[in-house]
Amino acid sequence: MSAQRKWVGQALERTEDPRLITRGGHFIDDLTLPGVAHAAYVRSPHARAKIRHIDVRRALDHPGVYATITGDDVAQLTRPQRGRVPLPNSPKVYALAYQQVRYVGEPVVGIAAVDRATAEDAADLIEVEYDPLPPVIDPEEALKPDAPLVFEEVGSNILWHNTFPYGDVESAFKEADTVVNERVTIHRYSSTPLETFGVMAQFEAATQSYTIWGHTQQPAQDLHVLAAALGISPGQIRMIVPPMGGSFGNKVRPLFIIAAALLARKAGRPVKWIEDRRESLLALGHAADGIMDMSAAVKADGTVLAIKFRNIENEGAGIDFAARHNLLMLSNIANCYRFRALSYEGYSVVTNRCPVVANRGIGKPFMCFSVERMIDAIARALEIDRAEIRFRNFIQPDQFPYDTPSGQTYDSGDYPEMLRKALAAVDYEKLKGEQAEGRKRGRLLGIGIATAVEPGGSNLSYGMLVSGPSQLLSGQGEAARVRLETDGSATVFTGGLDSGQGHATALAQIVADELALDVKQIRVATTFDSASHPYVMTSGVYSNKFHGHDTVAAIGAARKVRDKLLKRAAAQLEAHVDDLELHDGHIAVRGAPDKGVSVAQIASRAYWSLADEQPDGEPGLEALYYYSNPLAKHPDEKKRVRVQLGFASAAHVAVVDIDPETFEIKVLRYVVIHDCGRQINPGIVEGQVHGAAAHGIAAALLEEFIYDENGQLLSTSFMDYLKPTAADLPNIEGDRLETPSPLTLLGTKGVGEGGAVVAPAAIASAVEDALAPLGIHIAALPIVPSRLWEVAAAGAKRYENARK
Amino acid sequence: MSEKISITATINGAEHTATVEPRRSLVDFLRHDLGLVGTHVGCEHGVCGACTVMLNGRTVRACLLFAAQADGSEVTTIEGIGTDEALHPLQLAFQQHHALQCGFCTPGMILAALELLRDNADPSDEEIRVGLSGNLCMCTGYVNIVRAVRAAVSNGKAK
Repeated sequence: MSAQRKWVGQALERTEDPRLITRGGHFIDDLTLPGVAHAAYVRSPHARAKIRHIDVRRALDHPGVYATITGDDVAQLTRPQRGRVPLPNSPKVYALAYQQVRYVGEPVVGIAAVDRATAEDAADLIEVEYDPLPPVIDPEEALKPDAPLVFEEVGSNILWHNTFPYGDVESAFKEADTVVNERVTIHRYSSTPLETFGVMAQFEAATQSYTIWGHTQQPAQDLHVLAAALGISPGQIRMIVPPMGGSFGNKVRPLFIIAAALLARKAGRPVKWIEDRRESLLALGHAADGIMDMSAAVKADGTVLAIKFRNIENEGAGIDFAARHNLLMLSNIANCYRFRALSYEGYSVVTNRCPVVANRGIGKPFMCFSVERMIDAIARALEIDRAEIRFRNFIQPDQFPYDTPSGQTYDSGDYPEMLRKALAAVDYEKLKGEQAEGRKRGRLLGIGIATAVEPGGSNLSYGMLVSGPSQLLSGQGEAARVRLETDGSATVFTGGLDSGQGHATALAQIVADELALDVKQIRVATTFDSASHPYVMTSGVYSNKFHGHDTVAAIGAARKVRDKLLKRAAAQLEAHVDDLELHDGHIAVRGAPDKGVSVAQIASRAYWSLADEQPDGEPGLEALYYYSNPLAKHPDEKKRVRVQLGFASAAHVAVVDIDPETFEIKVLRYVVIHDCGRQINPGIVEGQVHGAAAHGIAAALLEEFIYDENGQLLSTSFMDYLKPTAADLPNIEGDRLETPSPLTLLGTKGVGEGGAVVAPAAIASAVEDALAPLGIHIAALPIVPSRLWEVAAAGAKRYENARK
Repeated sequence: MSEKISITATINGAEHTATVEPRRSLVDFLRHDLGLVGTHVGCEHGVCGACTVMLNGRTVRACLLFAAQADGSEVTTIEGIGTDEALHPLQLAFQQHHALQCGFCTPGMILAALELLRDNADPSDEEIRVGLSGNLCMCTGYVNIVRAVRAAVSNGKAK
């Protein structure tokens, strides 16, 4: 019996919303415990310095202070942290700075006190003496032999370096009519969840165990990282993750949890820490900045045969995400194109900046920006229209499934149709006419085009490209439990988390269809609890994994429950399972209309009547399902690996108007045609498309973490780090294309990251097009009017990173 | 710390008297002393608008005011503008139009929209965008928020 298809596909209102629009109440700072203490941190004012001496005595004497903790304590109580991709030559990193500070804002001393204000008062009483050292801020400087070392024990600022030749790149260059070279850079930015990072930790001395309420996007991995650091069993940690006020890849900082756990242990009472905004901008984590050098082998007709890439990724002073931007870029290195061969050389370099995190799309926004900038550069060199050159190079609809040189398998798509729709939405040819007319009068109108794949669901085996096959962490999957309640409703638990994606609503739609219930009869437990929710090591909310993993796990568990239910009904109705019909909470026997039973009746007996004969061998109507995606394999001998497992796609077209005097950039139109396959809830999907595109547009035009030459972060408030308001952003228009994935149960593909991956490229393309009369080429982000003005005033032809 | 002071304020229609530290911010007072956790803290420097509440009928940043400054005033928070049974038209419109994702900005955004519609009963999209530009949303790109406010206007007209 196949599932009904009633709820999946509907733009239902979200089950999460009634609480959020009336009272909130589930965020970490809304939770408390009796006797809870509040934490504050003393942070490093230096980018690089030796810690000579720390004196906490005055703080400990301050009324209301329970405990302090320093790097010496942490080094004594914990083992150094392992990166998520373990490095062969890993530096030692602890939850607090140990002997040395490596970035401005690094936590140095923790304080637990009766309230936050008292903890901050006490922080002011702590004396830390530093011997400041010259920092290294620029990743290219960090590569020089005489550069200061961020981690002396590594002996170099290069954490990792490797080269990936995919296919016969050299023959492609021999065959080429033209070679086009490009160098582009990306800056540091972050999606800055509106709710900052938070954690509340409780230690029970009798069992030496911890309960953690707090933020993570990978609860199982963080639980195990925590256990390893503390030297205890994972069974001694209970991890509870309430719904989060946004996460965007930023809320994966196990070191922050370790610090809170140790403070709770030292203070002898629960400790809560809610990061403030300045701390968040300084130290939660940034998207890596990077420098990409490219060389493309091109035929005279615009066919791109091959591209060589070399990326220098600036990891900052952390190892949590070491090499990950680089590795994830292998997922979209071919973007939408039939490149015959590719090569990629990646450097992961440490500097005295804030450590990087997996900000929305991690690495892929830069890779998309690089490839799309290169395609525009080739179009310009060969005088081919920017849309036309894309049509000439697209993977064609009849070529799916399509294997790219780096080992990705694109499941489905129709890139030409996607771009045609996007161009039609702005009436491209007519707009080009308007542009030509306007240029005669000095108007700077620009049309930007970017097309891209949106990879979804990381295969964590990609880490083996760094760590080798000895790395334990691999694959991708999710776990779910479905419990049919005695009243005939159902409750769903998964290892996934909630940070605004509407996953509870989407899972309810899926499970309602599987169990033929009303969607209102399905509740999804949105506060993850490791004591009650099933999980696998890859569980969580990240990497666009929901579409092909959380969904499959929930379906698997629901189907097991349905089988149990029908087996019981068959026994009770003395009918064959194949003759049963399940619909609307009722089970009937085909051809015998007077025979039937409600789901609630069967469920009640299943739980209450344990002395009954159990058709299934066990009482109850509950099932677990653990899913591992069979597509997620180890890297092969040619370093090819399916870094990500599903491939949505999008075409973005931006229309901008630039003031010829001030260079102020106004986005007049912004169109997104996206294809995430089958949609579970189009209302939620549309919101993800809007929100991600807004992140990308803002990263391209507003947001920037700026460091001075001493390593001081200059943008540490929302006055300096510019987030877009409603008045800054265009209306995001668009439509969908739907090419269902043949690789997922529902035909779904990822949708959370795409806009953020593609929009920077589309905006750069539009600005460059607007500036064509001045011949200014956009090679860096963000594109800021004052810097554009300087470039134009100097008569320069390249908009580059100010750092150079 | 200096001596505590006594304040009396009408919060969502009910009078509350409390003693607070002079440095207690209004948002901490609402959240931690009164348990009205619907008002959120996003930046604590008056930019993000997550802590927006009404003070004597006008929106304020509860992170930039001391609780003591609300003495003798009327304060309205998200908990005071509708009930589960009878949602405010703006709350309903936000739900119907997917105008929230994580929901952290939503209470402040709804109060800002409430003031906007009181000042301008029929705003254009541009006026809605400018009117809400004191409140940051990191999730939605604002598209559905603008739609929801517009829908709340139409629903109001239909009544």
